Amino acid sequence: MDCVATGGNVKVLAKAIHSLSRIGEELYLEPVEDGLALRSVNSSRSAFACFLLSPLFFQKYQAPSDQSFRCKIPIKSVQAVFKSLSSLDRSVEKCRIQLNSEKSRLTITLHCKHGLLKTHNLSFQDCESLQAVFDKESCANVLQAQPRLMVDTVLHFPPSQEEVTLSVSSDRVWLRNHVEDDADPRAMMTELSLSSEEFDHFAISTQTSITFCLKELRGLLVFAESSGLPISVYFDEPGSPVILSVMDSVLEANFVLATLSEDSHPKNHGKSNTKHPDTEQPPDDFMNDDMDSFLIAMETSELPGPSHAPTSPPHPTNNRKHPASEEEQEEALAEGPPNKKFCSLFFGSVLPTQSQLTNQTIQSQEVLASDSEDENQAETS
Amino acid sequence: MPLSTQSQADIDQYILIASLDNARNLSNILKAISFKDHAIFNATQNGLKVTVEDSKCLQANAFIQADIFQEYTIKEDAVGFQVNLTVLLDCLTIFGASTTPGVCTALRMCYNGYGYPLTLFLEEGGVVTVCKINTQEPEEPIDFDFCSTNVTNKVILQSDSLKEAFSELDMTSEVLQITMSPSHPYFRLSTFGNSGNAHYDYPKDSDMMELFQCTKLQTNRYKISLLKPSTKALALSCKVSVRTDSRGFLSLQYLVRNDDGQICFVEYYCCPDEEVGEE
Amino acid sequence: MKFRAKIIDVGCLNHFTRVVNTVSKLSKACVLRLTCDHLFFVLSGKVASGGVSMWCELAQVNFFDEFQLEGVSADANEIFLELAPENLSRALKTAQNARSVKIKLTKKNCPCLTLAAELPSLSGVSRVVTHDIPVDVIPRRLWHDFREPQMPDYDVSIYLPPLKTMKSVVDRMKNLSNYLVMEANLNGEMNLKIETDLVSVTTHFKELGNPPWGEDGSQSTSASHRDSEFMAQTRLDIRKLQQFLTGQQVNPSRAMCNIVHNRILHLIFLHEDVSLQYFIPAVV
Repeated sequence: MDCVATGGNVKVLAKAIHSLSRIGEELYLEPVEDGLALRSVNSSRSAFACFLLSPLFFQKYQAPSDQSFRCKIPIKSVQAVFKSLSSLDRSVEKCRIQLNSEKSRLTITLHCKHGLLKTHNLSFQDCESLQAVFDKESCANVLQAQPRLMVDTVLHFPPSQEEVTLSVSSDRVWLRNHVEDDADPRAMMTELSLSSEEFDHFAISTQTSITFCLKELRGLLVFAESSGLPISVYFDEPGSPVILSVMDSVLEANFVLATLSEDSHPKNHGKSNTKHPDTEQPPDDFMNDDMDSFLIAMETSELPGPSHAPTSPPHPTNNRKHPASEEEQEEALAEGPPNKKFCSLFFGSVLPTQSQLTNQTIQSQEVLASDSEDENQAETS
Repeated sequence: MPLSTQSQADIDQYILIASLDNARNLSNILKAISFKDHAIFNATQNGLKVTVEDSKCLQANAFIQADIFQEYTIKEDAVGFQVNLTVLLDCLTIFGASTTPGVCTALRMCYNGYGYPLTLFLEEGGVVTVCKINTQEPEEPIDFDFCSTNVTNKVILQSDSLKEAFSELDMTSEVLQITMSPSHPYFRLSTFGNSGNAHYDYPKDSDMMELFQCTKLQTNRYKISLLKPSTKALALSCKVSVRTDSRGFLSLQYLVRNDDGQICFVEYYCCPDEEVGEE
Repeated sequence: MKFRAKIIDVGCLNHFTRVVNTVSKLSKACVLRLTCDHLFFVLSGKVASGGVSMWCELAQVNFFDEFQLEGVSADANEIFLELAPENLSRALKTAQNARSVKIKLTKKNCPCLTLAAELPSLSGVSRVVTHDIPVDVIPRRLWHDFREPQMPDYDVSIYLPPLKTMKSVVDRMKNLSNYLVMEANLNGEMNLKIETDLVSVTTHFKELGNPPWGEDGSQSTSASHRDSEFMAQTRLDIRKLQQFLTGQQVNPSRAMCNIVHNRILHLIFLHEDVSLQYFIPAVV
């Protein structure tokens, strides 16, 4: 492979790499006929991201003669090449990426002002194609917004916030922080309410709530904000993946994130998830917010603090939907699995054929999000 | 205790007095060599030389000529002492390291001789700080015996062009390899890290290259951990001269312009790493 | 027991945010006392908080366009809440350009101080963000723990030098030592000193002025017996002083301190109708 990006596209490429570095440890690089695919997956396989840079993105694009060629590289080392975005803007005129499969070496050359030439020779490993199975078009709900709206929205949550819940009705969107049932009961609950008018496109066919990781959304925002491209969000019911997508004439980015299955949603704010609070919210009346009951409870008992309304943890039935084919769906583990469950996204083409798989390995795919077995699974080839 | 009210008797005791209207003219240049706590001060009629060393392989010197100071009095041919440089820098910047225009810290630095502390009087906006920094007997700096007649290759570059390379150095590489040659690649910096290698090539006709005098192909390796602190000097300087001698010793000389437009020099010497492998 | 308040003015919102930020930098948990006229943030000098105490007082009329309160009873028309000021600070931070901010006491799974901000949006329709900050309602029998601290019978009271200068000096001294001696006299002179094996540093401030405290402009009982040259001093954990100087966003129009010789440093910042007092105990 031999391709050359020039001018502002070098920065776009760099932003894509930085964006992917928020997802996983490795960059999967696959040069194909219709462009250069850059992909990454997180260790628990619950998030997958792919950028496809079309041949037109490059000044020169030459895919390798061996069409099945693909490799992976620690993303940190690629990121290091594009470390300083300001210097990329200031001084890099041209970026050339060459793959030498015989030497197992990826060469990135940056042609800078004043004749300075930076050559990075990175070693890579061969790998299988990394692909998540998803279908944006079949999703029941689609939202599209300017990156500014998403950035402003995400700003309301602290950097440490791991997951958010997105709820939609026919004319509004709510975002709130997701708190585990066993987490700090003193956590602050934040909820943002957006009118459908704030979105460029708003097509909701089912009222629903999905919970997903904020980290990967932030990752995509790194890219979308700098490119100014609108972000589309495709989703169905809880448990099905949410797809965040950015597109223009020469590139496409898709981030596929697992969502929590419905029964593992705690009752945030003491409200039900599917019916949105707005319909139940008491009027903003001073008289309705009498706190005396709390005080009475406290003065009469010797409890150290105010009583919290007991919330019985919902029994997880683990009714998850995979974006993958039927035979990959597994029954829930018999004894109550932990509450927090993101399903692993299945990467059809990565998986060995069924005959090679023992039942045992399929089981291992089903365990907790953080299980490292998943890592091995995908690399089996 | 304002600067002006020191008694004549106090002043008489000092064997070294150096004053600056702007203490940053000293603190900035000392920052360029602050990678170890111990600094050897050597004052002569010509000015002040401050030396910091690391593991007998690296030496950095900062020179502040006598005429940089508004007052510079030395009562002996040479006065030497050793102080903790980190402490000295905290004292010099006691009123903050900010660069508010028109506001500067005045400094008067005095030394009584062996066994006495280095005394600093600092004044800003009518507030006075007095610091007494304990001194030790100076160690003898290593003589790198780097002589300009033995220089094989020399380039002078605008510092900006090297800043980027040094800030991007792959610190997983043990060494920084410097290649200088009369033919391609002329001037090359290379690292060999965990994820692969990187080469930064500067053509000899680049407009960042002020001087190119390479007589012979030379490839030497230097411990990257030793050279990393020199980035501080690079950041402050406007030009840098890179020289190697016949033994492969490296000299980096930085031309630093202070707040008042005066010129001072910082220099780093580094021993080559024994093994030179072929890439 | 009810509470509801509303801020519309951006200046008031910024000012209130700065006060809350200051408080959140000084304590992980503190008590918010609400009365009909005032809000108080109180940290009482528990060992857990390093022995420091804080008293921050705001007149509600200067911040709120609406302020309704119904305390625990007619004879004690107040509410005491324990909360993490960091939460309140975070909530206000996201409401910086809000059209209005409502704060009220609400019943959720636990008692909460709910902050609802109406934000401007791209489309012109309002965007609403709500933050539910869990609080503990403090029963009346414990209220006495959070009364205003007595003004100590100080030896010297003095105006502080420009805080920016003082902060620079304290920051550097912190690099050099763990303890700092602060001393001052009734001649308007103040010194900050550190001493270690490596270095001794003294910063001399003068002509700072000594504030009059009594009705007749007199000094405290102890101070009135002092020679004006006498330096009252306290040895402090330098981190506590640094934390105060670094965390404060009040930018007071007047800043002063009282020193009880070898006992305590009492810092007082005044800005419009906000007063912030901070007590740092001396270390021996």
